[in-house]
Amino acid sequence: MNEKRDDKLTAAARQLATGIRPQRDLWPDIEQAIAEPAESEPRRSRWTPMFAQAAAIVLLVGASSGLTYLAVKDDGPVVISQPAPDYTFERTSFGGSHTLGNDYLDSRADVVARFEQQVERLSPAEREDVERSLEVIRGAIDDINAALLQDPDNTLLQDLLMKTYHEELNVMRKVGGVTQSVMSRRDI
Amino acid sequence: MAALLAMETGDNTAGMVSRTAISMRDETALVARAQSGDTRAFEALYREHVDRVYGLCLRMTGNVGEAEDCAQEAFIQAWKKLARFRGDSAFGTWMHRIAVNAVLGRIRKSKREQDRIQAVAEMTTSPASIGDSGELRDLSDAIDRLPEGARHVFVLNAVYGYSHEESSDMLGVAVGTTKAQLHRARRLLAQQLKEQGFEA
Repeated sequence: MNEKRDDKLTAAARQLATGIRPQRDLWPDIEQAIAEPAESEPRRSRWTPMFAQAAAIVLLVGASSGLTYLAVKDDGPVVISQPAPDYTFERTSFGGSHTLGNDYLDSRADVVARFEQQVERLSPAEREDVERSLEVIRGAIDDINAALLQDPDNTLLQDLLMKTYHEELNVMRKVGGVTQSVMSRRDI
Repeated sequence: MAALLAMETGDNTAGMVSRTAISMRDETALVARAQSGDTRAFEALYREHVDRVYGLCLRMTGNVGEAEDCAQEAFIQAWKKLARFRGDSAFGTWMHRIAVNAVLGRIRKSKREQDRIQAVAEMTTSPASIGDSGELRDLSDAIDRLPEGARHVFVLNAVYGYSHEESSDMLGVAVGTTKAQLHRARRLLAQQLKEQGFEA
């Protein structure tokens, strides 16, 4: 029954247009963007690590507030019928020149899988809190990774990144009820 | 060259865009010229691929403005990364990967998914269904109402025909996740279409 349904859906989906013409020509804006001189880039990049560190710290404070809020909430899970929004979990990165250990990656995959199952049981308000916290943390991860690209051996940034990934796991653990060992910089 | 720039990509009737204007050999030559800094060659590549790139962005975001921004960003990123393109995959597939990254980055950094769902729910016809006709519009609208992850996987896998491995690679998730999301998408689509009186 389900297979027949899936076949019909797949067949119908294959009939959908894959090429849709934009309502306006995007080329003029693209041409302008790619024609811009690149000489200003090196000057900007010199400041990136400093800005990234500051931004990451500020963002982490925000993330911690979100976590605190989650931690003090004692409402039980609410089963809802509306499907939950999805959270895209990107592959972890570590400034482009290091990789995270396989043990950590495996554990993270487990936590993500458990989280995706459990998040649908949260109320919309709780899910919003979770989403907000994860957004803040992702922003911090992006900033720190960008800084690490330019300064790969900066141990402060490495520690900060590990703590930020740990914060991400904390949010997911609070949702999924999964236990997870604490990481350290040696997990790289 | 003028003929290439004036080419018409056209719409598709069976899930595939007509690719009569540029042969693979011409495309390889255009890529090589673009890699050497020829913006006219890159414009020809843009004209050839914009419909499929924009179509993917539109189906993934469900929003005309965001899809335009994502498609634009994808081509700008492609220009910047063009030197790294070695031809291991088709240029169109490479562009799709960049477009998926543009969509994911934009979703992560800007708009809240809840807002998007609400905005889509308020529309009678989704923007993505513009390219479809008849009953396919209902399916297109239903796809647009899917949760983000399920929608992304369904669009890549069912609409554009990418494998689970390719979809998971593009989206940066595990193969198991794309399989679960595809199952979820099909279940939700069947529910939606049944509620609308269609036998899925």
